[in-house]
Amino acid sequence: MLKIKNLKADIDNKSILNNFNLEIKPGEVHAIMGPNGSGKSTLSNILSGKKGYDVSGEILFENKNLFELETEERAHKGIFLAFQYPLEIPGVNTNIFLKTSLNAIRKARGEKELDAIEFLKLVKLKAKELKFDEEKLNRQLNVGFSGGEKKKNEILQMSILSPKLSILDETDSGLDIDALKIVADGVNSLRKKDNSFLIITHYQRLLDYIKPDYVHVLMDGKIIKSGGPELALELESKGYENFN
Amino acid sequence: MEEQLKIDFEKFLENTNFSKKNVEIKRKNFNNFIEKGFPNRREENWKFSDLNQIISKNIKNLSFYHDLSKPNKIDQSIFIDGLEHNKLVFVNGRIEKIEFDYEEKNKIEILDDLVLEKTKNTNNSLLFLNNAFVSKYFKIIVKKNYFLQKPLVIYNITNKDLVSKSINLKVDILLEENSSLKLIELSNDKSTTNFININYNFDIQKNSILKNYKIDNNSNSNIKYCFNNINQDTDSVSEIFLLSSGSKFIKNEINCNLNGKYASAFVNGVFILNETKHHEIKTNINHIVENTKSYQLIKGVLEDTSKAVYQGKIFVDSKAQKTDGYQLSKAILLNDNTEFNAKPELEIYADDVKCSHGSASGSLNEDSIFYLMSRGLNYQEAKKLLINGFLLDVIEKITDTEIRNLIKNIMNLKQ
Repeated sequence: MLKIKNLKADIDNKSILNNFNLEIKPGEVHAIMGPNGSGKSTLSNILSGKKGYDVSGEILFENKNLFELETEERAHKGIFLAFQYPLEIPGVNTNIFLKTSLNAIRKARGEKELDAIEFLKLVKLKAKELKFDEEKLNRQLNVGFSGGEKKKNEILQMSILSPKLSILDETDSGLDIDALKIVADGVNSLRKKDNSFLIITHYQRLLDYIKPDYVHVLMDGKIIKSGGPELALELESKGYENFN
Repeated sequence: MEEQLKIDFEKFLENTNFSKKNVEIKRKNFNNFIEKGFPNRREENWKFSDLNQIISKNIKNLSFYHDLSKPNKIDQSIFIDGLEHNKLVFVNGRIEKIEFDYEEKNKIEILDDLVLEKTKNTNNSLLFLNNAFVSKYFKIIVKKNYFLQKPLVIYNITNKDLVSKSINLKVDILLEENSSLKLIELSNDKSTTNFININYNFDIQKNSILKNYKIDNNSNSNIKYCFNNINQDTDSVSEIFLLSSGSKFIKNEINCNLNGKYASAFVNGVFILNETKHHEIKTNINHIVENTKSYQLIKGVLEDTSKAVYQGKIFVDSKAQKTDGYQLSKAILLNDNTEFNAKPELEIYADDVKCSHGSASGSLNEDSIFYLMSRGLNYQEAKKLLINGFLLDVIEKITDTEIRNLIKNIMNLKQ
């Protein structure tokens, strides 16, 4: 599904990612762990098409060169990024935003756009699954939401848009245990044989709830070790500093 | 210009039937205008908008005489659809229709040939000009205890025939005790490069409510000035909303005197400007007695090489304890060549007051755009959603639901 070959990314002449390689097959869950400044967020930004990086190498998503696609086209193709810091958008109603987003993606995929009633039915169902306060959907997008609510809102969007590849950028940071479980349940319910996940995190904690197939350790812009879930436990006990 | 002005003024007096007293006052105003001329940037009030320069740059051979003897046809297609309303229609500065079909007849009184009063302590040269050249001076009186059933829309239409003229309109509105009026002013201009000078005087008596929506939305090359003087008595409310968008230049000036306890004034406005448009909102909110309240929220979205100015002044008299005054202005600059000037002024002589002001301007947040695009919206859609969200905040302050929806429609903000 996703093939990253020799990815190099610089920002303001500072190298962030270097010789980065990763392959994710349909249905797989990959976790990337690494210390602050190792390039985790840069990776998720680049996969989503954020501007401002000098990049080289190759990223193929379903055999299509991602560098040729704009951010919204990547979303249309099924890439979703759950933001580490979801933005507050004043004046934009959450429900209307969700509907605009879903229909933009459905339209691009050649599917019928949902009308208001169909959409509300879907969003109600998903909100209930994620124990997301429905009343909040009538508020301005993320404005006045707590940290946990913002993260849950990301997962709600993910579940409504049902992407092929979901990238979770430190979705667990700032969540209490209850919220963490809800978020993990949300992710697990989306796990299907052709949906893949890339989970970026500092801590092993989230991986107790979402069992990854592979764990990669990212340091200084490249993957220094890959393994199964046990690698996360090893990291947790040794710490990044003593790891090598 | 002065020679031409004098000729035009004499011609105007000759062709209009004014009483002797009226002529005398008009001459006085005319001389005052001749002495002062159009305001320029040396006056503090006009430092961001040099009207003298703007007029000479944009209007060739401005003529002060305009024949008002023949009636004009009204293009009915510009009337607001889907909103029952009373009408006052000006075409090229001439009153063509006064219609209060939805109201009880004896509850509205219209005086249509008022004699000017001596202008009290003003040195506003544009008021002198207005007083000198206004041909019919109207007054609308809403009687005690009467709430108008439907809004009044004042249409200010100019058509293609009107070129490089100076047009002056003056309307007084009196809301007697415990009455209410919703007033929409809608301009529609197909004319070119005129100077349109409007003066409203509102007198809002005890317990009365004025809601005034000023809509300048259709693109035109006219230069406009609108001076609004508002006097408010005890427990009265004024709510003003400005959509400042269509004209080449417009300055809306609001002078509001909160003369009675518990009077409150709300001024909300949006600038939506492109090309070389230059708009200004200038407010003077005068808290004269205690327990009065004012609230101002102005937002702007500027494109191309447009320029917006907001000068907001809150004055608190030494007697006006427990004043609550608030003002905030924000602008999104879509381009490096746009300009937003904000000058908040607080002049406070009482010690037990709550006043605040703030202003911010910047470009659209690229991270927000990226967030929306990552959800499948293209750049234009994301930008539009953010801008609409930014402006909606002000639109939501409009307390009348029907008119709020109308304005959302006009602004293409319907979700």
